[in-house]
Formats: sequence, C-alpha cells, structure tokens
Amino acid sequence: MTLPQAEVQTESTAAPGAPKKAPKAIAGKSPTRIAFDRLRRDWLAMASLVVVLGFAVIAVFAGQIASLLGVSLETPLASERINLISQLPLEGPPFGGYDPEHPFGVAPRVGTDNLAVWLYGARTSMIIASTAAVLSTVVGVIVGLLAGYLGGVVDRVLMFVTDLFLTIPFLLAALALAPILSDRFGTNPERLGEVQFYSVIAVLVIFGWMTMARLIRGEVLSLREREFIQAARAIGVPTHRILRKEILPNLVAPIVVAFSLALPAYVAAEAGLSYLGIGVTDRPSWGQTVAGAVTWFDVYPQYLWQPVIGIVLLVIALNLLGDAIRDALDPKTRR
Amino acid sequence: MFAFIVKRLLAGLLVLGTLVVSIFVLFWYGPRSPVQGLCEQRTNNRCTSEFRAQLEENFGYNNPMLSELGKYVGGIFTGRDIQLGASTFVECSAPCLGLSYRTFVPAFDELIRRLPATISLAVGAAVIILLVGVTSGVLAARRRGTVADKALVSATLLMSSIPYVLFALLIYLYLNVINEVFPEAGYTPLTENPVAWLSGLLLPWLALGLYNSTQYTRFSRGAMIDALSEDYIRTARAKGLSSRTVTFKHGLRSALVPIVTIFGIDFAFLLAGTIFTEIIFGINGIGRWGLEAIQIEDFPVVQTTVLFGAIVVIVANIVVDILYGVLDPRVRIS
Repeated sequence: MTLPQAEVQTESTAAPGAPKKAPKAIAGKSPTRIAFDRLRRDWLAMASLVVVLGFAVIAVFAGQIASLLGVSLETPLASERINLISQLPLEGPPFGGYDPEHPFGVAPRVGTDNLAVWLYGARTSMIIASTAAVLSTVVGVIVGLLAGYLGGVVDRVLMFVTDLFLTIPFLLAALALAPILSDRFGTNPERLGEVQFYSVIAVLVIFGWMTMARLIRGEVLSLREREFIQAARAIGVPTHRILRKEILPNLVAPIVVAFSLALPAYVAAEAGLSYLGIGVTDRPSWGQTVAGAVTWFDVYPQYLWQPVIGIVLLVIALNLLGDAIRDALDPKTRR
Repeated sequence: MFAFIVKRLLAGLLVLGTLVVSIFVLFWYGPRSPVQGLCEQRTNNRCTSEFRAQLEENFGYNNPMLSELGKYVGGIFTGRDIQLGASTFVECSAPCLGLSYRTFVPAFDELIRRLPATISLAVGAAVIILLVGVTSGVLAARRRGTVADKALVSATLLMSSIPYVLFALLIYLYLNVINEVFPEAGYTPLTENPVAWLSGLLLPWLALGLYNSTQYTRFSRGAMIDALSEDYIRTARAKGLSSRTVTFKHGLRSALVPIVTIFGIDFAFLLAGTIFTEIIFGINGIGRWGLEAIQIEDFPVVQTTVLFGAIVVIVANIVVDILYGVLDPRVRIS
C-alpha cells in the first residue's frame, strides 16, 4: 500500500544501471542500497518494523519478560484466583479493575495468568510461522529452480505435482493430515505435544510451498535465456554452479518479497488451525486461547481480545512491512 | 479449440486419479489403525484390541491394499455392496465413495444432502463479492489519486490483513450473540422457508462476501485503470460519449475479463471449503461435515470431502481456461 513518496531528483537519476562515469555530484548506489534507503524513508514501513521487532523480542525473551513482570504460567491453586461457582476470576477483569499482580487478568476456570500465556503464545506463533516460512521457501525455491532451469520432463513432473497440491483444499487436507502425523509419530505420550508442534509446521510447509515454486520457476524461465547464463553455460560451468552462483543471486528480491508476505499468512493459518482444534496443546498459543475464549465471550470479552489484538497487530505489521519491501525493491515504483 | 478442451480434460482427470489413489494410500498407511476412531465410538472409548482387529477384518483392512483400492475405484464407477457385519450388507450405488463410519450411510448420499447449504452460502457470498468489490473498484478507479481512492485502498488492505477466522468470529460474536442486530445465523432449505433461508444466511454472506471483496476492489481498480488508459477509450471520449457510457460500456467490459477468470477459481474455493464460516455460524454444510469427520477419524467422509473440493477446483480451472478464450477475443487457444 504505502504509496511511495516522490523521491528527490538527484536520487532518481542514479539508476542502478546508470553508467559509472556519472557527474560527481551524484553518488553511484547499488540497487540494494537504494532499496534500503527507500525503505528507511518510508515511515509506515519503519513503524511496522518496530512492531515486528517488538514481537520478535517478546518471542525470544518471553520467559525473561514474564519473570520481569512478575507473572508465570504456573498456577498454584485455581481456587485462589477463581470463583469456583461462576468459574470467573476473583480479581481483575471482567468485573474488577486493574489487578497489578496479573496485568491482563487471569483465565477463567483454570486461573492461569493471561499475560504469561500471551507472551508465550507470541513465541509459539512466531516460531511456527517463521520455521514454516523458511522451510516452504527452501522447498519452493529448489523446486522452482529445478523446474525452470532443467525444463523438459523434470519441469513437467514438478509442475504436475505443484498443480496437484494446488487443487487440494488446504484447510480440509491440513486438518486431515495433522492428526495422522501426530498419531503416527506420537507413539510416546510424553512427546505427543512436541510431535503436534512439528506436525503443524509440516502441514503448513506441505501445503504452502507451491506459490513460491511457481514464482521462482517463472523468474528462472526468463533468466536462463539471458546472455550471462548462456555465457556461463558456454564456458562449461556445471549446472549446480550456474544455479547457485548465477541464477540464485538474481532471485533474491522476489524471494525476500515472497518470504515477507508468507510470514503473516502463516501466523494467520496457525491461528486458524488451532481455532479448529488442530494445533499445539502442550504450550500456550494465541489460536488456542481464541478457541477457548469464545465460550466466555459474553461475560469476559477481554479474554478473547488479548490474543486477537496480538494476532491482528502482528499480521498487519508483517503485511505492511512486506508490501513496503516489495515497493522498495521494485525499480518500477520509483518515480 | 476442441483439442484444447480434450487436453485440459485429460490433464484434469490425471490430477484427479492421482489424488484418489494418494488419498486412499495415505489413509491406509497413515494412521496406526484406520478404524481406531470407529472402534472407540462403538465401545464408548473402551476400545479393545480384539474388537479393533475384528473391525479391521470387517472393513477389509487385512486384505492387500491394492485389491481394496481396486474395489474402491470400481465402486466409484459401478457401485458395490459393502459388508458391515457377518451377514449385513449396505448397498452403495455408483458413485460409491465408501460408507461413513459414523452413520453407515454412503458418503456420497450425505454429500448431496449437505450440498445445498454450502452452495447457498457460496452463491450468496459470491454475489456480495462481485457487487461490492467491482463497484467500489470502479468508483476508486474513476476517482484515481483522490483522498477517497487512497482511503478505500488502504481500508481494503487493512481489512484483508485481519485473519478471516477472527474477522468472522468477531462479526458473529458482536452482531449475533451480544447484539442481535442480525437474525440468528443458520441454514434452512430454500424450498422449506425462503424467508428463514434468507435471514439465516444474511450474516454469513456478509462476513464471507465483504472480507473477500477487498481483493476484488483492488483488482478491479487496477484492471479499470488499465482499461481506461486504452486508445479506444480516448476514441470513445473524443466522439462525445458520456463519461458514464465510456466507463461502463467500454471500460468495464474489457476490465471484467480478468476479473471473471479469477472469480471462477475463487468461487470454486468457496464451494470447496467454507469451513470457518460454516463452523462459526453453525451451518451444516460440507466443510463442517469434513471437520466433524476428521475429529472422529471418519476417513471415508474425509476422503469424500477432500475429493469433492479437488473436483470443484479442477472443473473451475478448466471452465475458466475455456471461458477466457471466449471472453477475450485477443486470446487464441491452441
């Protein structure tokens, strides 16, 4: 979205392809440098970056932040915090005011501290989303590179598989596959939670790599006809080296853009999956809290709003940042 | 043209065939025991290994996988009788996609029974998507660069950043549970009571339609801006046609071509699975059926819903490809 502001005149003349012997007043800048400069001048992108970094800090230091604020996931006895008849908290929201011991209040029925759950939930969401985004990017780039560069039978087979996965309805298939993975590998009940965690990531990757593969294949198809690739091939550079040293560096921009737009999609998908009951159960997650909070909504709406605000804020910031990166990297948007 | 259609159909069939086989194999080898859910359900969660073994025997899981796959595929074309107990058979007519482990009714019959709810939901949402999305996109394109245009585009981007599940959930909770602004959501067959059908689906339509219309706003805005910058638009203006005629008769007509093709695919995905909408608003459609089946490990039903979704998407892809050639005279299909 961020409609790029008109750039200063001197800047726009220093196009990436401009000859080196430009007048001395204009400094030559690499395309990456230009992109960074433009990104830095985009206040919306910077604001989103601050939000995203804030969430990243929360995710990495969830435990330390929780103990700093004096909250923890442990609940000594639910009856100390919960009215056993209404199952609602004794102090703090929804009826009481601000409770300094539990800034976000405590969860109904079980009495765990909401702030601690929220902090650790941020960690779960971020880890799942970023792992899934990295893995699906790797798979998509490899498939796209091979299909695009090798062509022929390899291309046809890989594209058939890609189209096959694209026709499968994501939600139903993911919901069907995740329990099977947990059932198959979670033979040890103690490790079931861990297996569930990995099967969520696996499902997201299995049904998430196709767009990247198609994008990369399209880019490679046009790149491989370019002169520098033909030159490399003519002097006998081996294929894996051409792919790594010649083609891959030219794909950095589309990969970065697709990756940064995939991240928010995975945060949302994880929340959706755990709302439907397929997700992690051994550690707090935002989607899980949302699913649990719906039944309490009419008396305790704050309990639902905490994870909702977390998810929405993170997804919007990631999306805005991704859009800004795309605009900054795209030479066509500079005016 | 004919050769193209045949080629596309064959490719679609190949995808479908691969899917049928791979889903069958996945559910055969995937879970530790494919009848675990059924066993627990029949014994009130006191599944014994003897009973499970008996169920596995009854449902043919002790036979070779390939022969059972053959029976399954054969059943799709000719129908078959499925043995339940020692002497109880259930007739499953073609296209037979197996029996639901919960009700022992052929999964295909249940699919047909639930189809109207999902179709009602998808069609109503589609109408809203097109009406709201294309109208606002065209309006934004005509006022390109103004504050209203920028505000609209920003608003659609912000809205599509909210995960749909949260969007639908909050709409449901605030407009249906806390304040009864809208009539209670639910599905009543159209033939039974048209008024109840309309009022029950109104809120789900709005949630699904408005959320998905945002990308159509942006998309039709872009297509409209492209179309309005064409030479023939200038010609139309030059010969003195009114701005309205130019926008709608000349501009919109060509801008609609890419919109219609994208819409075809999106509509297929609406039909294939509106799980969140069906779960949140309590509509007994195909998506909800699939989710319930997954929860009790009712594999034939899961298989059926996944296959149904895939078929819809494949058919939509073929239709869109053909339609594209018909709608856009510049496209020559070979």
